[in-house]
Amino acid sequence: MVGSRAHIRRAKILTWVALLLGAGFAGLPVLWMVASSFKSNLEIFAYPPALIDDSFSFEAYLAVLGDPAQLRFFFNSYLVAIFVTICTVVTSILAGYSFSRYDFRFKRVFTLLIIGVQSVPPITLMIPYFGLIVWLGLYNSYAALVLTYMVFTLSYAIIMMTGYFNTLPRDLDEAVMIDGGGSFVTLWRILVPISLPGIVSVGVYTFMLAWNEFLFALTLTRTNDMRTVPIGIHLLMGQHSFEWNQMMALSVLGSLPVLILFLLFQRYFIAGMSAGSIKG
Amino acid sequence: MKRYLLAVLMILLLVAAGAASAEDVTLEFQQWWEPELPEGSFRAILDEFEAANPGIKVETISGPYLTTKDQIIASAATGTMADVVGLDGAWVNVLWKQGALASLSQAMMDADYDDSELAAQIRLAGQTYMIPIANFIYPVFVNLDMLAEAGIEPPTTRAEFAAAAIALTDPDNNVYGWAQPLSLEQPNGIQNDTMSWLWASGGSMLDEMGQPHLAGNEALSDTLEFLKSLHDAGVVAPGSFSMKENEKVEEFVNERVAMIVNTLAHFTLIRERNPDLNFDITALPAAEGYDGPRGLPYASWGIGISSNTEHQAEAWKLIDFLTSVEGNSKLTSIANAFPGNVNATPDFITTDPLFETAFEIFQEGYLANEFTGLPAAEELMRQMAEPFQFYLEGDIEVDELLELAQAEWEDIFE
Amino acid sequence: MKRKFLPYAYLSPTLALLAALTIVPIVTVFLYSLVDNVIINQNPPVFVGLDNYAEVLTNRKFRGALSNTFYFAIVSVIAHFIIGLSFALLLNTRLIGNKTKALFRVIYILPWVFTASIIAILWRLLLNPHGVINFVLFELGITQEKLEWLSDRDLALNAVTFINIWAGYPFYMVSFLAGLQGIPDDLYEAGRVDGGNSWQLFRFITLPQLKPIIISLALLDFIWTIHQFTLIWMTTGGGPMRSTEVLSTYTYKAAFSSHEYSIASTLAMIILAICTFVGVFYVRNQRMADE
Repeated sequence: MVGSRAHIRRAKILTWVALLLGAGFAGLPVLWMVASSFKSNLEIFAYPPALIDDSFSFEAYLAVLGDPAQLRFFFNSYLVAIFVTICTVVTSILAGYSFSRYDFRFKRVFTLLIIGVQSVPPITLMIPYFGLIVWLGLYNSYAALVLTYMVFTLSYAIIMMTGYFNTLPRDLDEAVMIDGGGSFVTLWRILVPISLPGIVSVGVYTFMLAWNEFLFALTLTRTNDMRTVPIGIHLLMGQHSFEWNQMMALSVLGSLPVLILFLLFQRYFIAGMSAGSIKG
Repeated sequence: MKRYLLAVLMILLLVAAGAASAEDVTLEFQQWWEPELPEGSFRAILDEFEAANPGIKVETISGPYLTTKDQIIASAATGTMADVVGLDGAWVNVLWKQGALASLSQAMMDADYDDSELAAQIRLAGQTYMIPIANFIYPVFVNLDMLAEAGIEPPTTRAEFAAAAIALTDPDNNVYGWAQPLSLEQPNGIQNDTMSWLWASGGSMLDEMGQPHLAGNEALSDTLEFLKSLHDAGVVAPGSFSMKENEKVEEFVNERVAMIVNTLAHFTLIRERNPDLNFDITALPAAEGYDGPRGLPYASWGIGISSNTEHQAEAWKLIDFLTSVEGNSKLTSIANAFPGNVNATPDFITTDPLFETAFEIFQEGYLANEFTGLPAAEELMRQMAEPFQFYLEGDIEVDELLELAQAEWEDIFE
Repeated sequence: MKRKFLPYAYLSPTLALLAALTIVPIVTVFLYSLVDNVIINQNPPVFVGLDNYAEVLTNRKFRGALSNTFYFAIVSVIAHFIIGLSFALLLNTRLIGNKTKALFRVIYILPWVFTASIIAILWRLLLNPHGVINFVLFELGITQEKLEWLSDRDLALNAVTFINIWAGYPFYMVSFLAGLQGIPDDLYEAGRVDGGNSWQLFRFITLPQLKPIIISLALLDFIWTIHQFTLIWMTTGGGPMRSTEVLSTYTYKAAFSSHEYSIASTLAMIILAICTFVGVFYVRNQRMADE
């Protein structure tokens, strides 16, 4: 079923059109955010709106970068997000493996429990949860944030990991088992390498959540040296007025490292990279 | 010899211990003011307080305004509330109900304090729980160039205002006479841009017992009918039902809205954003035939003490400092606010002609914000905003709107 | 014997963490839903049984919020799925060079990297009656008037749903991208040999292979969307005229605006029940997959 040249060309053009349309949908609002970060607060609301106007300047960026408190927010966000990502990924691989490859008595109960934990609106949990963190002596610490975000992300991560493992044929691990490898060996030597795309996508999800969470970051910390970027953004929303351009600049700055990280990891999403190894 | 040495050691130890305990009081001060003020300026005032009160340190805990109330409630519920807290008049009641606030009347008595200099105190059940230390009044801001172009004077009555708004509106050029923010996220448009019209004409939304008086309140239904006539005439900027205070100001700054009810806190901001904007302030127009004093809506930065604090005396010292002539003058100078101490004089009142005008408006009228101290004040505003939107859309009549709101308010007051 | 114990061992870190940090708060919220006078009240709590539930379930505003929530969640989940899968397939094509795809992958993931409040603020700017979207529509002659996207009751719910779709599809896209890498090439080769066209390959190979991921995603996204608070709260606050009131905004108002914490806890338990109900379907599906 090899298409003719013309056929391939038409498919290529169609793909390009679709890609560009999609990019417009995804990227234009963000382009507007970037443009706004270079405008004055007056021009952000100007009509007719312009992408770039006379007020173009780096002032908002200088204001954000010149503030040591904001830089500290960045450092904290990294630290917390990286720890959460590592811990969640490892924990969810173990749990996902258990759910995907074993049948055991309380499997359905545990699955429901893990879903249930995620199902209570965080706003209502906030006060009792806050009390528990204070009681545990974790108030205003990185540990409080890392553990909290793990609670948030684990359900998603486990269910996704279970889903990925379920897409992999079972004969794979059984072959290793027959060769005398234990279940742990099977998991780390066979399943984990094949599931790297899935693991990376779970990791990206976890990182994003930890990076962007606001409510608990604010409640569980007290001093500015423990706080994260979303709080920095909210601090620019004043009682009477917003620093629109600085908020946008801070968001753009905050997104850059995340995007770079994604660029680094995206080779795991390249077609055919891992598929070859699953000739089950 | 040995005994002598021991005695000296003992004395040294005691002195050391005494010194250590004397300097160990650190007050936590939770507020949203620090991020609102020029960088470092609030800390400088607190440094002065620390210099004047050796042995007391103040640690600021600053957060965004919008979440400060929720954070105080959560911290009070978990025993982590700061010693001193910044308060908004709309929050006092719930924190008082929660038992989170200490009676300031008691603190004043303990400190033998003379409260005659305080402009206002917020009392509940006969006790003071909040002292407003900086007040921001809400007059009407008018764009003088737009008014001049239309050949009109700043309006003083509702009829004049409506006429002016109609003359100023030009939808084809995206220009409107007035803006009314009625966002349900931040329903303070009900306080500042709606009820303010009632208060400016001497009206009230409460009865003598302080209970809701909405249904059958003629002054109120007149006010709301007047506002609806503005909407029906198409002179109100679009997007009203989701507009927030900050967007209203941006519309004014961009000269798309000619008149807004607005806080004095915005003076600097408006001048910074659009230095070419030629604007003035004027009192809120009153109903035809009303010539009594006009109620002025205002917002306050208030201050209170946690009921759990172990340092009540020191906490009071901080409040004493911030309400003193000297401390209050400094704070209100950097905040562009009217002082909470009647003898304090922030420097801008004499140096800025617009503030002079504002001060005149302030002296001719009286501070009126009936929401201060009411239970779930923000929810009251929202329960008014919702049926008001239905009314503006023409779904219900004004009497139905007031009856609906009355029922909701009575529920909350119970 | 050892094999019996193993699955529990793999689960133990998860169970330990969840037990330590979630049991107490969730049970507390459950108990709050059975009493009156909690948190914002100094009077001792009074046991009221199921009164709070009766009060909530008979409330007209609650039922309005419930139907808005379902509309918001179902439309979001379906759109997320369609957009996420389409983008993943586009990015997986062999017709375009790898470098180009890398660039597009980064563009496509953009909506995901921002905190919810900034997304809300950005869209408020875009959808402002004097904002750029109205400007473009007006200049293109598509509209003659300034559409009040967020303050017109006929538009607002769809507007916030659209924002949520924009903000949420990358989660699907990335998951599908990962899932697509796990589909063995020989399946497609076999399909081609049998004379299948692209649609048939997609219908009979791609979709079934992705099924475990699709089901997991749909479940998670449903729960996630039901909990979506910041986006709706900061764009419309549940208005105008309650047209975008959903369970999460309703719950927030009960907790922090009306200060009726028991009612908020009751709502939380109702939301928990809805999510668990959906969860049961997921578990059933898992069981069928096992067999």
